[in-house]
Amino acid sequence: MIDPNNLDFKKLGFHAGLEVHHQIISKRKLFCNCPTILEEDPENMEYSFYRYFRPVLGEMGDFDPGMLVEFEKGYKVIYLANERNTCTYEMDETPPFFPDMEAIEKGYILSEYFHCTSFAEEIVVNRKQYLDGSITTGFQRTFISARDGWVPVNGKKVRITNLHIEEDAARRVNWDDTSSRTVYFNLDRLGFPLTEIITEYTDVETPEELLETAKQIGRVLRISKIGRRGLGSARQDVNISISGGDRVEIKGVQDLDLFDVMCRNEVVRQYTLIELKKEMLKRGLTKDEFEHTYVDISHLFQSETKHFAVICPKMKGLFGLEVQPNKDFGLEIFEKSMLITGVPRADHYHSDESDGGFIRENSDYPSNLGIDKQLYEKICAILNPKENDAFIVVKGSEKQAMHALKKTIERIKMALDGVPQETRRFVKNGNSEFLRVIHGKDRIYPDTDTPPVVISLDTIEEITRDIGRRPWEVFEELNSEYGFSQNKVDLLIRDEQLDSFYKFTTELNMNAHLAYKLLIDIPRENRRKDVIINEEIIERIAELLASEIIIPEQLDQVISLLSKNEHLTDEELIDQLNIKDLSSEELAAIVKQKIDFIGKDKLQTSENEQRYLPKIVALVLKECNYSIKGQTVVSLINSFIKEAI
Amino acid sequence: MTDEKTIYDPEGYRGILRDRLIKDKIRTWSKVSVKKGEAYYEGLLLPRSQHTDDDYVTLKVDTGYNLGILVDEETDIKEIGYQKGHYKLPHVDVEFKKELPNVTLLGTGGTVASRLDYRTGAVLPAFTPEELFSAVPELTTTVNLTPKTLYQILSENFRPEYWVKTAESIAKEIESGANGIIIGHGTDTMCVTGCALAYFLRNLPVPVVLVGSQRSSDRPSSDGPRNILYAAQLAGYENFAEVVISMHGTPSDSYNLVHRATRCRKMHSARRDTFRTLSDIPLGKIDDSGTTWFKDDIRPRSNPEDFYLDAKIDSRVGMLYFYPGMNPDLLESMVDLGYHGVIVIGTGLAHVGTDVYPALERCQEEEIPVVMVVEPLYGFAQLRVYETGRDMLARGVIEGENMLPSAAYTKLIWALGHTRNLDEVRDIMLTPIAGEITNRESPRGFMIMQGIEPGIDQILKNL
Ligand SMILES: [Zn+2]
Repeated sequence: MIDPNNLDFKKLGFHAGLEVHHQIISKRKLFCNCPTILEEDPENMEYSFYRYFRPVLGEMGDFDPGMLVEFEKGYKVIYLANERNTCTYEMDETPPFFPDMEAIEKGYILSEYFHCTSFAEEIVVNRKQYLDGSITTGFQRTFISARDGWVPVNGKKVRITNLHIEEDAARRVNWDDTSSRTVYFNLDRLGFPLTEIITEYTDVETPEELLETAKQIGRVLRISKIGRRGLGSARQDVNISISGGDRVEIKGVQDLDLFDVMCRNEVVRQYTLIELKKEMLKRGLTKDEFEHTYVDISHLFQSETKHFAVICPKMKGLFGLEVQPNKDFGLEIFEKSMLITGVPRADHYHSDESDGGFIRENSDYPSNLGIDKQLYEKICAILNPKENDAFIVVKGSEKQAMHALKKTIERIKMALDGVPQETRRFVKNGNSEFLRVIHGKDRIYPDTDTPPVVISLDTIEEITRDIGRRPWEVFEELNSEYGFSQNKVDLLIRDEQLDSFYKFTTELNMNAHLAYKLLIDIPRENRRKDVIINEEIIERIAELLASEIIIPEQLDQVISLLSKNEHLTDEELIDQLNIKDLSSEELAAIVKQKIDFIGKDKLQTSENEQRYLPKIVALVLKECNYSIKGQTVVSLINSFIKEAI
Repeated sequence: MTDEKTIYDPEGYRGILRDRLIKDKIRTWSKVSVKKGEAYYEGLLLPRSQHTDDDYVTLKVDTGYNLGILVDEETDIKEIGYQKGHYKLPHVDVEFKKELPNVTLLGTGGTVASRLDYRTGAVLPAFTPEELFSAVPELTTTVNLTPKTLYQILSENFRPEYWVKTAESIAKEIESGANGIIIGHGTDTMCVTGCALAYFLRNLPVPVVLVGSQRSSDRPSSDGPRNILYAAQLAGYENFAEVVISMHGTPSDSYNLVHRATRCRKMHSARRDTFRTLSDIPLGKIDDSGTTWFKDDIRPRSNPEDFYLDAKIDSRVGMLYFYPGMNPDLLESMVDLGYHGVIVIGTGLAHVGTDVYPALERCQEEEIPVVMVVEPLYGFAQLRVYETGRDMLARGVIEGENMLPSAAYTKLIWALGHTRNLDEVRDIMLTPIAGEITNRESPRGFMIMQGIEPGIDQILKNL
C-alpha cells in the first residue's frame, strides 16, 4: 500500500467536490406545520409503524440499477414517531402542505452570499428517490434556488454549481448492526428544511482546498444566521476521484478535521484498486472466467449452518492486498456483500487469509469461520484450485450464502474495471464502507403533489437586497485594516458578534482590538470559568468605555463586578471600582517605586524593555486600582529611564 | 395534420410565450439555452402544466432538477438540440402455469403500479401485462393473472352505467372460468362501485376484490403493490364469494383488511388505512402468513351455474345531506326535475327539520321513495323513537336501517330498475341483499378496528 501520509495529490490527479447539507433555521418543517424540534432521546417514541419500499418502474419498463440494489437489500423499515414533531405528512399518510416561505427566502439569501447568477424564478419541487427508508415516501422533496455561484479558496474561485432547498431525512437509530435487515428511523428530523450546496468538483485539487471550501461555506451559513447550530445540523458528503479512478461519494463526515485522513485513505484505496486492475489484466483475467459455481462444503464444519465455497481463478494474493489501512481487498468485497445480503463480514473468508495475507486478521472484522491450515487443505482437496487460484467461503442459510457469493463474484468482476462508482459511508478510523451504488440523475422527477411557486426576480432582489458582508469580504476588511487573522474573524462570525463589532468600532469609535477583546476574549475566558457574561453587560461596558466613564485597563474589574451584580448603577460601579484620585507626584512616586522593585538595570536593553515594561505597568496599574491609562504609565516610565541615562 | 405541426406544438404553453416559441421553432422536449443578463441556463424544455403562470418556461437542467424561468423581451431563448424519446417496453414472457388459479384483473382507472418517465416526469399507469409484471414481478408466481382495461377514469367520474358494464365484464370472466376477479379502482368511490356490484352479481360463485392504491403508485412507498399481491391471493385462493374491498389495515405494511363492500367506507382523505367497516367488524385480514377470517357469515364459493347477473338500474336517484337551515326547496326541485327516488341523510336517528315535511308530503303524493339513512354513519335509522320521526313515517319515508349512504344510494338505483311501485321498492330496500343491512348490531362494530387502538393485535388474536 502506498503511504497515505506521503501523497502528491496534484500528481495523482486528485479532485474533490462537496455536497454540504445544512439545516436552516425555521419555525416549521418544509412541507408541513410540525415544529422543528428533535427528540433528546432518538429512540424515544409514542408510536411506530413499518414499511417496505420498492423501486418505481422507469419509462423503459426497467428499474434504475442503483434502486434495484437498494431493493435487493430487502430492508424492513421501522419508524419511531412522536406526536409533538410528527404528523401524518411525515408518515406519508397525507399530501404535502404549501412549502415554508421562510425556507424558500433563505435559499435565495444564501444564493446571493455565494454570488449565484442564475436563480430559479419559479420553484419546481422535485422528487429524488431514496429506498433506504430514510424518507417515508421513498423520495425527498427538493428544489433549486439558484445555480452558478462561487466561494474564494486560497486565491481561486471554487464554483458552487447548485444550491438546493430540501427536506431533511429521518434520523437513523440503532446503527450498530449494519448486517441487520431491519432498520430503524426516528421521524423527528424528517422534513426539517435543509440547504444542499454543491461545489464543482474539478475545482478542488488538494485536501486543504477541500477543507477551506467547506469552511467558506460554513462561514456563510453562520454569518447569515441561516444555518441551524448544534450537533447534526450539518453533514458533508464528499466526492473524490483520482486519475484512472472514478467518482466516489463518501457520506456522513461531520467533523471537518477528518477531511484530511478521509481524502488520504480514499486516494490510497482508489490507487490500490487501479493497481489491482492492472495486476488482474497482467494475469490475463477476464470477467468470463469467474463462474457462479458454489460448492457446498458444509460437512467440513462443526456447524448446523451451511458453508459454500467458490473458486476465484488467478486471484491468489489479491484478496490480501491492503486497500485502506488495516483493510484488505477481501474485506472490501465482504462489506458490500454484507450490506446487500445481510451476511455478516465475519462469516466471509478468503483464502489469502490462510496464505500469507495477515491484514484481515488484524482488521476490525476478522473472519470467524475458524479455517485453520488443516481445514484449508481439506477445502483445497474438494475445490482443487490451481496454483494461482484463490477461493472464498461464506457461511449462512442456503439462500443468504448463495446471495452473498453472487454479490462477491459480481464485485470481483468489477475489479477489472477499476474503481466502481459508489456511495460509501465514512467510518471513524478514516476509512469508508460500501453504502450503495451511486444514484444517477434518473431518480429525479417532478413532484405532482405541489404546484410550482412563482418567485419573480423582483421578489428575489427584494429578499436578497440587505444581505450583509460576505465572510471573505469581512476578512479582507478586518485583515487589511486591523491585521486580524482568519482565526479571529472566524471567532467573530462563529460567536455571532460581527454586528456588535461593527457597531462598537464605528458608532462608539472603539479600538478594534479592544472591541474584539470585549466581544470574544472576555466572554470566552469567562465561559471557561462557567461565568456567562450576557450581551447586555457587554453592551453596557462598551457604552461606559465610549463615554470614558471607565477606561480599558479597568475592564477585568468591571466585568467581575457586573457579573456578580448586573444591576449596579454607574455610580455604584465607579464607587466600587475604588478609583484613587492621584496627583501627578503621587503617581510618579508609585512608578518610581515599581521601577526600583523590578530593577532599573533590567530596562537597559530594548530586548529587556519589551519584557519588563509591561510588568511594571501592570504593577503600577494594580496599585492604582486601574484608575489611570496604561499609556500614561508607559510614558512616565520612559521619561524616568531617559532621566536615568 | 402533419407531423411537423404536432412536433412544433409547445405543449401547455399559452399566450405570447407560446407564439414566440412557435415563431422561433422551439419544441418541447428540445434542449434549449436561456440567457438573461448574467444568468444562463441549459436544459430540456418541459411542457407547461395547466393553471400555472403564462410567462414562465419549465426547464429540466443537467442534474435532473426542474426549475422555472420568466421569459420576457430581454430573455434570449434558443433551441440547441433535440432528441426524440422512445418508449418501447421490453416484452415479458408470462408463462401460463396450470397449477395456479386464474384471476382476471379488470382495470377501471385505479393504478396499483406505474411507470415513471424520468425524462418528462410523467407518470404512466402500468396496466399492460408487461408493465404490471415488471413492476410487481411477484405477481407472476402467485396466480395466472390476466389484466384487462375497462376504463381509464378517475373514480369520481364513475357513473351507474359503468357499474353495469363492469358487472357484465365480471360475469363474462366468471363464465370463462375465472377463479377470482380483481377490480382495479380509484379509491374515492371504490365503496360505491363495490355496493352496486354486490347487488348486481347474484349467487356470486367467486371472490370479487376491489383494490387500488391510496398513496400514489409513482412512489416507492406506495401501498399499491402489496394491495394487488394480497388481492391476487384472496381472489385466487380464498374460499369466499363476495364483493370485498381489500386495502391496508394500518399505516404499516403489515396486513390488509377484507371489508364487505356494502359495509365499507373511506374514512380518511389520504391514509393507507382509510377504509373501515362500519357498524361491524371486517370479514378478515390477510398478511404474509395467510388469511384470518373474523366473521362466520361469509358466503363461500359456489357453483358458477347458479350465478346470474341482475343489473337493471334506474339512475334517476339523488342524495340529499340534511343540515340545519336546509331549504326544503332542494327536495322540491328534485321532484320538479323528475327524480325517481331520493336518499336523505338525516341527523341522529335520521331526522329532518319540520320545514321539510311539506316536501316529504309531495314525494309521498308523487310516489317518489324517500329513504332515510343516518348522518352519524354508525347505527340504525329509527323513526319511531321521537315524535318527529313518527311524523316523518306518516309522510311515507322509508327507514334505511343501518345502510351506509353509498349502500342505500346504489340499492335504490337497483330497486327502481326493477319496479317503481312504492311498496315493492320498500320491500327491496328493507330486505338485506348483500350485507348492507345487518339484522343486529354488535357493539364491536363501533369499537373494534374503527381506529388504531393500542393493543389491537391482542384483540385480534382473541377474535
Ligand atoms: Zn408534520
